[in-house]
Amino acid sequence: MLELLNVTKRFGGLLAVHDLSFAIDAGEIVSLIGPNGAGKSTVMNLITGIYTPTSGDIRLNGQSIVGLAPDAITRRGLARTFQSLRLFLNMSVIENVMAAAYPRTSAALWQSILRTPGFRREEARIRAMAEAKLAFFGTRLQGYRYDQPAYSLSYANRRRLEIARAMATDPKLLLLDEPAAGMNPHETEEITHLIGELRDRGGYTILVIEHDMGLVEGISDRVIALDYGEKIAEGSFHDVATDERVIEAYLGRRAVRSRQ
Amino acid sequence: MFSLSVYCRLPTDTTMSLDKIGQDEWVAQVEARRAARGPLGRVLARLEAANPFVVGGLLFGLAALLPLLTSNDYVLRIAGNVCLYGLLALGLNVVVGYAGLLDLGYVAFYGIGGYGYAMLASNQFGIHVPTPVAVLVVVVLAALAGLLLGLPSLRLTGDYLAIVTLGFAQIFVLLTNTLDKASVPWSSQVVNVTGGPNGITAIDPLHLFGWELSGVGGYFYVLLATLALVLLMLRNINQSRVGRAWRALREDTLAAEAMGMPVRRLKLLAFAIGAAIAGLSGSIFAAWQTAVFPQNFDITLLITLYAMVVLGGLGSLPGAVAGALLLSVIPELLRGPDTARLLFYGGVVAMTLLLMKPRWRGVALLVAVLALGLVVRLAATALWPQALGPAPAPVSSGLGALAQRWLIFPANATLAGNLLFVLVIGLLMIVSRGRRPGVRFVLLIPSLYLLAFVWETRLAAEPSVTRLLFLGAILVLLMTYRPHGLFGKPRVEVV
Repeated sequence: MLELLNVTKRFGGLLAVHDLSFAIDAGEIVSLIGPNGAGKSTVMNLITGIYTPTSGDIRLNGQSIVGLAPDAITRRGLARTFQSLRLFLNMSVIENVMAAAYPRTSAALWQSILRTPGFRREEARIRAMAEAKLAFFGTRLQGYRYDQPAYSLSYANRRRLEIARAMATDPKLLLLDEPAAGMNPHETEEITHLIGELRDRGGYTILVIEHDMGLVEGISDRVIALDYGEKIAEGSFHDVATDERVIEAYLGRRAVRSRQ
Repeated sequence: MFSLSVYCRLPTDTTMSLDKIGQDEWVAQVEARRAARGPLGRVLARLEAANPFVVGGLLFGLAALLPLLTSNDYVLRIAGNVCLYGLLALGLNVVVGYAGLLDLGYVAFYGIGGYGYAMLASNQFGIHVPTPVAVLVVVVLAALAGLLLGLPSLRLTGDYLAIVTLGFAQIFVLLTNTLDKASVPWSSQVVNVTGGPNGITAIDPLHLFGWELSGVGGYFYVLLATLALVLLMLRNINQSRVGRAWRALREDTLAAEAMGMPVRRLKLLAFAIGAAIAGLSGSIFAAWQTAVFPQNFDITLLITLYAMVVLGGLGSLPGAVAGALLLSVIPELLRGPDTARLLFYGGVVAMTLLLMKPRWRGVALLVAVLALGLVVRLAATALWPQALGPAPAPVSSGLGALAQRWLIFPANATLAGNLLFVLVIGLLMIVSRGRRPGVRFVLLIPSLYLLAFVWETRLAAEPSVTRLLFLGAILVLLMTYRPHGLFGKPRVEVV
């Protein structure tokens, strides 16, 4: 579904991503791990079009998406959440989700001014869609919460709302940037379960960037480890977690030697 | 005691809803309750909770009765101005309030509308295009100009966009001032395009459905109807995918783009719609005044419009209209010394009662100020009779006469007024910085007394200056009391 072919990104003298290639198949949950500064977020920004790669190609469903604007890439069926939350804080919860349905709606300006039946139908459709997406998270984003401004939500609920908003763009591929950051162990466990649900019930293919190894172990079909912008390991969680180069990247050379 | 009784009263009228909605929701609604606090907040909250069509229809219906109630052209002209400013504020609100683009070139579109209509329907070029065609052409032209000015907004944000658009507004005024002697390459003659500082005069009135519009009342109805239509249109846009997308890109442009919204197209659309509304207002303005001049479209108007939008609450439709109403009616009320006096004393009393925290304290303060005046007066009668000299600006009736018999006026009252003006401002600054309520209370007594003296000796005598001072004071107080504007929502930038 998503392919990265020899992608390189250079910021001046800094080689942020170097000759990175990997692929994600439909229905997979893939985790991208690596120490701080390994280039994970750069990879995310390259895929979503915020950066353009210095060289290499990125393909979504076989078509190159290099050079497309972020909104054009989203319209092709790829949506993301942000590591540092970027909700539309002063809009209500339901509006956050409905706004993200923009690429999947078509009512023209004159139709919305005249409130034509077509416009009303579409509006009712995305309202129902937004409620359905929010229902994924149980009752905590339902009922009176619909009309609450997003800034009134707790941190964990904001993370959930971001996921709901990404779902509203109707993507095939969901990119979650540290979905468990700042959550307590109980909430992390819940999000682990939720990501599985997203694939099984929602039918999304998912790429996760995550530091929490418990979460990575719990959800990943496959794990890719990065260090200094290069792929140092790929495989099942167990294979990657015991890989010498990964342990070295996280804990240093001494740790590898003491294991042997 | 006072505050306790307030808290005791709370549960009685909310117990029902508390049971229903649960504690969580009660906590979650804290923002709404905060916005509805205070007497002004309660009135505004009730207005907002009401059905907008009922309230709006009622208000517009009442406004439509105005020409039947009065044939005073002055009143109707102000009412027409309110509608005109309301239209302009609504258009500005689209660009600044919804899309969050700091556009300082907005008045240029109003000017394009005015000058465009003037050129299409006057003897300037000897063209007299039928009104509907002329207005349509002008609106399209203004929208295209909006698109053009929107182009820099694709690369610039915030302050930088403001500078570029401000330049655009200045260029427009400059061009209208100088294009009376334009030389064209294919001719040796100079062409008079805009009339320069003399503007374009003898512009055709509006012809609608075979009627030639004349008189202030006719234009008032046209402006009122246009205002109602534009309000309805913007409300519908606001509650659609485009409105949501505008607000989303105001909140976070990058996130909006990542959610698949075509940010460039949406920004250009906001500019174009704002400019089209300004252009429409400009053409009606030109036909109404039958003349346009460069200074009709300068920075002063831009600042006034921003004040209206901000005072009403950024991003709020009723707010923009309310802002236009307040800022065009209050300066007119301040023209007459009697109404100005009423507004002044009424404002002081109202602010004292609103801002002093236990309500009795405010009442006590006012009583103390009155008593101080009487004591000073009595003392002056006994000890210094020449200080009871005639008031500098004698008035015949009502409140003014009462106030002047309460105060004392020494021989050189004007000089004393000037000096005390400075003293009062100093005192009020100390009061506003002071922390101990007791000290503030004591300081406020002479401050308010002297304020009344300054008003009677200096301010009431010079209405033209006083109007602006008074307007400024109202703006400062209102924005301090309600920083998000009358109908705006309190906004949170970063949490």
